[in-house]
Amino acid sequence: MGRIKDSFERVKNQESKTLITYYVAGDNTLNFSKKVFLKLLSYADIIEIGVPFSDPMAEGSVIQRSHERALSSDISFKKILSLVKDLRIHNQDKPIVLMGYMNNFLSQGESLFKKIKKAGVDGLIIVDLPYEESEFFYNKLKDIDLDLIRLISPTTPKKTIEKIVKFSSGFLYYVSFRGVTGAKLSNFKEVQDKVKYIKSKTKIPVVVGFGIKEGEIAQKMSKISDGVVIGSRLIDIIQQNNFRLNTSLNLLEKSLKKFRRDVRKR
Amino acid sequence: MVNKTNNYNYPDKNGRFGSFGGRYVSETLISALEELESLYKKIKNDKKFQEELTNDLQTFVGRPSPLYFAKRWTDKLNGAKVFLKREDLNHTGAHKINNTVGQVLLAKKMGKKRIIAETGAGQHGVATAAVCARHGLECIIFMGSEDIERQAQNVYRMKLMGAEVCPVSSGTSTLKDAMNEAMRDWVSYIDDTHYIIGSVAGPHPYPMIVRDFNSIVGTELKKQSKILFGKYPDKIVACVGGGSNAMGIFYPFIKDKEVDLIGVEAAGSGLSSGKHAAPLSDGSPGVLHGMKTYLMQNSDGQILGTHSVSAGLDYPGVGPEHSFLKDMGRVHYEAATDKEALKAFHDLSRIEGIMPALETSHALAWVSKNAKKLKKSDIVVVNLSGRGDKDMQSVAKADGINF
Repeated sequence: MGRIKDSFERVKNQESKTLITYYVAGDNTLNFSKKVFLKLLSYADIIEIGVPFSDPMAEGSVIQRSHERALSSDISFKKILSLVKDLRIHNQDKPIVLMGYMNNFLSQGESLFKKIKKAGVDGLIIVDLPYEESEFFYNKLKDIDLDLIRLISPTTPKKTIEKIVKFSSGFLYYVSFRGVTGAKLSNFKEVQDKVKYIKSKTKIPVVVGFGIKEGEIAQKMSKISDGVVIGSRLIDIIQQNNFRLNTSLNLLEKSLKKFRRDVRKR
Repeated sequence: MVNKTNNYNYPDKNGRFGSFGGRYVSETLISALEELESLYKKIKNDKKFQEELTNDLQTFVGRPSPLYFAKRWTDKLNGAKVFLKREDLNHTGAHKINNTVGQVLLAKKMGKKRIIAETGAGQHGVATAAVCARHGLECIIFMGSEDIERQAQNVYRMKLMGAEVCPVSSGTSTLKDAMNEAMRDWVSYIDDTHYIIGSVAGPHPYPMIVRDFNSIVGTELKKQSKILFGKYPDKIVACVGGGSNAMGIFYPFIKDKEVDLIGVEAAGSGLSSGKHAAPLSDGSPGVLHGMKTYLMQNSDGQILGTHSVSAGLDYPGVGPEHSFLKDMGRVHYEAATDKEALKAFHDLSRIEGIMPALETSHALAWVSKNAKKLKKSDIVVVNLSGRGDKDMQSVAKADGINF
């Protein structure tokens, strides 16, 4: 469709792989997260904005704490949309995806779709979206030229993969292991086989996420897929520096430059 | 409503009770839920499985539980006749064990060696620890760090039976967070682990499985009331947190429209105070812990903190079938405050010599309030879902007594 498709093509032409970053809106303040996102926009190809939830069931401790900090900074869905609008003033090309949990999106009712479109969002990742409801979301988003990005896991049976790709667009997010975000990757061969299988079933790009903490893993994963998602690692860098703005942004930049190089290596 | 009740057959093939229920979990869990569902459907009518289950229910749990006439309380209330279905007499002291006895057999059939569970007050944790010891399985219980402090005795009971108790300090450090953490553990060790959810909550097929295992309570009551009264009770009352004891006693009566079913939620400091745990009385539909159901939440879909004097009712959601039965009008839901529950606790202790769990005391409070409005010939059965020994600290504290 729009920006996401263009982005993957652009990266391909540069003989690189797509670098996707995740950070939570409002961690630890709205303004702080805005500065982080601006930095991410200058080095990543796609940015995922985490919508904080009181009960983030799929997250490891790093991202859980991030959601908690964001919620105690009084973040709201409305503020997240105005954040996206702000980011769009600075950057019109790079895709912005909202990633979150069903209940936060449901709470907005049918007006959700119009609102996110207007703000400049390009797609949604709904962690706990069940298969039966994906068709509804897929169609609603398709009507306004937005993407529904679906997750596929190591335990997803082959038959289900075929069903999932039917109601997906933009890219597919392969969860590299059985576990929560930020845990350790264990079985590279399994990821390789599964990604290969998914790619045999669809033309949609497949990226790998969960557990990518080091450049070496990012490099390995990007070789066998269309890109990688980095989340917990970035949050870790910032919280270890106690959210001191300048140090955090400098270290973030250093880390992003390295990841950038690592996903480029052939 | 009449038609729906006659053909009541839920959940549907998507695990839905009308628009409620479903399976809102991350993709990694879907295949484990499907495996559990298909195994359960295959063996639930299997004769050998039923024999094994019945044997455990009789010799390990101590079933059937008696139906007791609370004569002195009835006299005091001066209204309908009140009977108590004595789930407090079960092994480990509550209805919770009806479910764990069944689920542990399912886990064994699936070849799972490691059992995890969440617990709030600790009753489900204790009931899970007991069946794991009985079958020689590894047992890990997730419990909010707040609850661990409030329920030190139950923590020790679990440990005595060989369980490991994992403190959870995320979010509000209570039951809902323990459930999040159990789900996270399950995703990480899905190949060898079975998660025994303790209420009629969570993603499909849990609300169905937990209901079915607990419905032994209602099934027994049907037989007992036919013998004792020659008819079914006029009203059945049960407390509702997640709602497993209520579903257990209601479910076999759903098609018997002459029986009024009343669920009592925790009104905490009062519904208008906002400090309560009554999503059916004062909440709205949303998605939490893998199910669509009534929740306590704000307009952005963030789950709100709850309050109840009883740790077992201190939960911001409710089993999806209750949400369905509420909207359908088949079950009538009300709420009792901390104060009303504590009074009922004292009344039953003094008048009948039975100390009820604080959870159960909410159902008893409804009876205290309403028995007089009913006919003297009316028969009211309360599901006495658990015993109150675990609540000594909380009750003493409310009475201003320090041990």
